[in-house]
Amino acid sequence: MSGIARGRLAEERKSWRKNHPHGFVAKPETLPDGTINLMVWHCTIPGKQGTDWEGGYYPLTMIFSEDYPSKPPKCKFPQAFFHPNVYPSGTVCLSILNEDSGWRPAITVKQILIGIQDLLDQPNPADPAQTEGYHLFIQDAAEYKKRVKHQAKQYPSLV
Amino acid sequence: MVDETEELEPLFDYSRVQPKIICLDDDDDDDDVVCVVTKKRKKNSQSQHVENGNEKKTNVEAVPVTSVVDLEDDDWLPSPPKVTSKKAQKKKTDEEDSTLKNLRLKKRELASFAESAKKLLKSVEDSVEMDNLNLLHTSKDDISEKTSKPYERAKILISVQDKEGTKQIRMFMDDNFERIIKTYAEKMKCDLKQIVLSFDGDKISSSETPASLGMEDDDMIEIHVKSS
Repeated sequence: MSGIARGRLAEERKSWRKNHPHGFVAKPETLPDGTINLMVWHCTIPGKQGTDWEGGYYPLTMIFSEDYPSKPPKCKFPQAFFHPNVYPSGTVCLSILNEDSGWRPAITVKQILIGIQDLLDQPNPADPAQTEGYHLFIQDAAEYKKRVKHQAKQYPSLV
Repeated sequence: MVDETEELEPLFDYSRVQPKIICLDDDDDDDDVVCVVTKKRKKNSQSQHVENGNEKKTNVEAVPVTSVVDLEDDDWLPSPPKVTSKKAQKKKTDEEDSTLKNLRLKKRELASFAESAKKLLKSVEDSVEMDNLNLLHTSKDDISEKTSKPYERAKILISVQDKEGTKQIRMFMDDNFERIIKTYAEKMKCDLKQIVLSFDGDKISSSETPASLGMEDDDMIEIHVKSS
């Protein structure tokens, strides 16, 4: 079955190289021996302009299973990433990334990344994944904003 | 090469000019000039000179006589030359023999020289031809190589994306990205240093080329403008 996953990922990569939203990065990891592992992608999501997230380039790792695209990839920010819908481990909680909820095999890598960019600025309080981010978001907007802006500075552009 | 061909000329002049030289009308002061022109002439003129010299020695009076007679009676003209020719002829023949010998030697020398020159020319020509052939072959090979796998001066079509949109740009695989940086610096009216290109999330340094980045047709690079 790995043929399906890899074939699809190769296609995803091909189409990404040709066109992708500005500031985004998505590339399969290169192992120390120079070979490419299509099952793990290192991505970057830029904070949307005009939001508190602007200026940050947030690293995200996508881990695909052999069941992809039947099952969604696991998407992870760095550990302890500040956001109401990100687990302490960094894993993103988003409906389209949930096999039992919004995931469809036709969803592309590009759509996932844009979906997560939207989520950064528009958290879903109905589905919290971490206490700190969630509490500040509901209880202390000023502090929440401050934390978000601070985090943006922690992830400056690499270029 | 030029010198050699110049050297060859006297050889051909000889056959053409010889009959003329036999007549004595030529014994003017142009001896020197003539001998400069051709070796053949030189010899003849030398013999003529000898002839004249004998004439003068043996028959000093005769010369003026002949000249005087020349004016009055045309029939007198042949005799003095006969006298001179009798005496001179021996010397002349001797002289001529030696000069002829020299001439022949020279001729042979020149001939061999010409031969070697020809050989040299031919070898050069051959080698040039070979080179041309080789060149043709190699260029053909190059062409076929180019068509099979785009290497040298291969072009690539890339997409260049800034915040306003995407443009398609054609460039050489081995060309660096300076031109694109300049174009966008002008477009955005900012300093060259503020323009940063990135491919796959990595900054493209100005010395890099599509080839060095392993780019493929339709790959997309991004333009980032840094605030100064």
